[in-house]
Amino acid sequence: MSIEHGFLVGLSKSFGLFYLIALSAGVLAYTFWPSNKKQFDQAAESILRQEDRPWT
Amino acid sequence: MFGFHYRLERKAIGLMLVIIVVSSIGGFVEIAPLFTIHQTVEDVPDMRLYTPLELAGRNIYVREGCYACHSQMIRTLRDEVDRYGPYSLAVESKYDHPMLWGSKRTGPDLARIGEKYSDEWHVAHLDNPRDVVPVSVMPAYRWLLRTELRIDDLGLHLKAQRAVGVPYTDDMIANAAADAYGQAVPDSRQAEGVAKRYGKATTIRLFDGRADQLTEMDALVAYLQILGRLTEAPYKAKAQIGETP
Amino acid sequence: MFWTRLNFGKLQVGEHVALPLEDSVIRQLTKKERRLALLMLIFLGFIGAAMGILGRDDPLGIHGVLVFVAAILMVFFLGSEYYAPEPSNDRLARYYDDPSKVGIVMSMIWVVFGLAVGDWVAWLLVDPDLTFDAAWSSFGRIRPVHTTSVIFGFGGNALIATSFYVLQRTSRARLADQLSPWFVLVGYNLFCLIAVTGYLMGVTQSKEYAEPEWHADALLVVVWVTYFLIYLRTLARRKEPHIYVSNWYYMAFILVVAILHIVNNLAVPVSIGHAKSYSLFSGVQDAMTQWWYGHNAVAFFLTSGFLGMMYYYLPVRAGRPIFSYRLSIISFWGITFFYMWAGSHHLHYTALPQWVQTLGMTFSLMLLVPSWASASNALLTLNGAWHKVRDDATLRFMMVAAVFYGLSTFEGTFMAIRPVNSLSHYTDWTIGHVHAGALGWVAMITFGSIYASVPWLWKRERMYSAKLVEAHFWLALSGTAVYVFAMWNSGIIQGLMWRTYTESGTLAYSFIDSLIAMHPYYIARAIGGLLFLVGACIGAYNVWMTVKVPAAAMEKAEDTPLPMFPTGINVQPAE
Repeated sequence: MSIEHGFLVGLSKSFGLFYLIALSAGVLAYTFWPSNKKQFDQAAESILRQEDRPWT
Repeated sequence: MFGFHYRLERKAIGLMLVIIVVSSIGGFVEIAPLFTIHQTVEDVPDMRLYTPLELAGRNIYVREGCYACHSQMIRTLRDEVDRYGPYSLAVESKYDHPMLWGSKRTGPDLARIGEKYSDEWHVAHLDNPRDVVPVSVMPAYRWLLRTELRIDDLGLHLKAQRAVGVPYTDDMIANAAADAYGQAVPDSRQAEGVAKRYGKATTIRLFDGRADQLTEMDALVAYLQILGRLTEAPYKAKAQIGETP
Repeated sequence: MFWTRLNFGKLQVGEHVALPLEDSVIRQLTKKERRLALLMLIFLGFIGAAMGILGRDDPLGIHGVLVFVAAILMVFFLGSEYYAPEPSNDRLARYYDDPSKVGIVMSMIWVVFGLAVGDWVAWLLVDPDLTFDAAWSSFGRIRPVHTTSVIFGFGGNALIATSFYVLQRTSRARLADQLSPWFVLVGYNLFCLIAVTGYLMGVTQSKEYAEPEWHADALLVVVWVTYFLIYLRTLARRKEPHIYVSNWYYMAFILVVAILHIVNNLAVPVSIGHAKSYSLFSGVQDAMTQWWYGHNAVAFFLTSGFLGMMYYYLPVRAGRPIFSYRLSIISFWGITFFYMWAGSHHLHYTALPQWVQTLGMTFSLMLLVPSWASASNALLTLNGAWHKVRDDATLRFMMVAAVFYGLSTFEGTFMAIRPVNSLSHYTDWTIGHVHAGALGWVAMITFGSIYASVPWLWKRERMYSAKLVEAHFWLALSGTAVYVFAMWNSGIIQGLMWRTYTESGTLAYSFIDSLIAMHPYYIARAIGGLLFLVGACIGAYNVWMTVKVPAAAMEKAEDTPLPMFPTGINVQPAE
């Protein structure tokens, strides 16, 4: 096995942190992106419409 | 029209891919290094294999769901070491497919139960626990003494074990059924082969106390008596106690 | 099959119903779909026969017979109307709700069965001789029957049923296909049946919540892939550009459960004729893989999917949009990301490397953030609708579920801290925690969602009896409280007794001492479970009567007049 245990552990420990920060930043950016607001508000309201058949 | 649908589909598939990537990284980071762990764990030369009879007993332990109430993992805590014995080492379960560490102690831990009690005690206890421990809530396993052990397919079991990495030899696989019988009938011709293949320290006894029939009780007691005794390593590691609670 | 009579008989046309009458399952399939169904059933029959022959000396053979008989019965069922006229194309202008109806009925059957077995198991710890002198009825074999029936039978069927319902409504599109939803439902319930009958015969992998052996696991993989494809294909047909957040949760549930299931169940069978297999992993790797699975089964089966349910049914029932849609997205990614790291907190102080334990503990702490975000999002949605919570037991089920979700995620995080875990691990505290989540969160949100969807699905104005929903609610809540308090007490006492030392430095109590101390709590627990079971029986009766009794004959709901949908919201025209 050419992959060393120490290398894998090191990678796990360091990479995990950067990944965590990058992911959080990405998610927050997506969520609070101003142009997405309208879409989200519409989605929240959309389930309350009184309809019982698919749109065609 | 096509373009609109294409975009929608792409969005759903994109979401799917992101979910897969985001969710799998955690598991990968934690599990992948464990497959190289042998590079850091000390080798234990005296670690021995389960004999066919013990393996059959282990399969009965699995079948009856004993793991639901008994753990086989002594943690590095002072009270556990005092109560059950030296804490469990990773190497001790390296031939355990699957591991039976358990998650609940409705009954006591069994990692070091081997040879703490006599065969007679185990047989009586499994037959009806309340005959031995009046307040026990363990089920009575009365059918173990009544049921003959199936040994004709043990060779296949050893073969499957070898396929997942347990180093059984061709000789062991070929003689699996005979060895299972021999280990529970000391005076038989087959008994010699067991010691030859699995080492002199192998316990060869009339586990259930009767020579006329090889029962499931033989197998289960043989397994219980080997628990914690596959290697001497944990006892030599000299009760270093981890964190105290 | 009995449910055809149950669900697809002539419906009374109620106030809200503008739909033509529904027809039998087979009559709704096209000729092509019927032919495909027949081919699949014949194939299933062959597999059953092959299993029966190859496994004739093994429990596998009995499962072969079971599969074969199931296939034959379904061929007869299909044959009874195979040549009936094809359905008209009108059907495509309606949602396809029959699979959801069957899923809900199966879910109620499984929950009554699963809880009954669970309570039997609980009484066995009070008096271990309350059973037969037979292997199948011993504690170790019927305990997984309980866990599988409630988690996979009840929870799984409810998830499948509600996900189909929510998927169609939020996409404003009919399910992509008519046959594959039935394949998923039948296949999934066959999996549950094989699993449960297997345990009784001693067929188990002894991996917690992954007990079924390789042949059942393989079936589940096929079913699950089909389930996912239905989801993806229906999403691709959607008319709403944005995918509603419930679907995100349902998709994470389906996808991650697939990954977990496949990896954790990798095993080598003894032979093609044996049900027994040996796990590919051993020792430490197996433990880590198992608890990576076990913990994330809780995360993605018992949390993510049910959050999907909550984010749809709670706002709709309350008649208010979710408090913060943005927060629901943040919690989604938080849960999807953090949970996967937390599994190793099940292995504190064991032979698992310390850094993996610490990582698991850290992420368990962080997990509290998205969990509480979801719980508070749900409760804040109800702000301004508390009078509805007071009057409507269905909405109250969902509210209490959100509270228990918050409580048990806090408790779980707490128990993942190493020193706390040194006390709580291996004790009944874990059992109490699991049931706070399973009874308080999962079952309550499911009952709430079922009580909401049954009248919608069967076009009834309301449930058969609002009083019975009320009774169920109080039985479920008191049962959960009794159960959880009993297990907290017994767990903490147990943990403390095991670690108490005398002044001379020896252990103060034997294991037997701790066992004697548990006895009163085990009685209380069994009683709590009994209350919960009685509540579920009432619920099953109520669902049954709602389906059976025509809308006009129902009791007048003088106490809780609930409109099916809130008024005052403009109906938006289709694009």
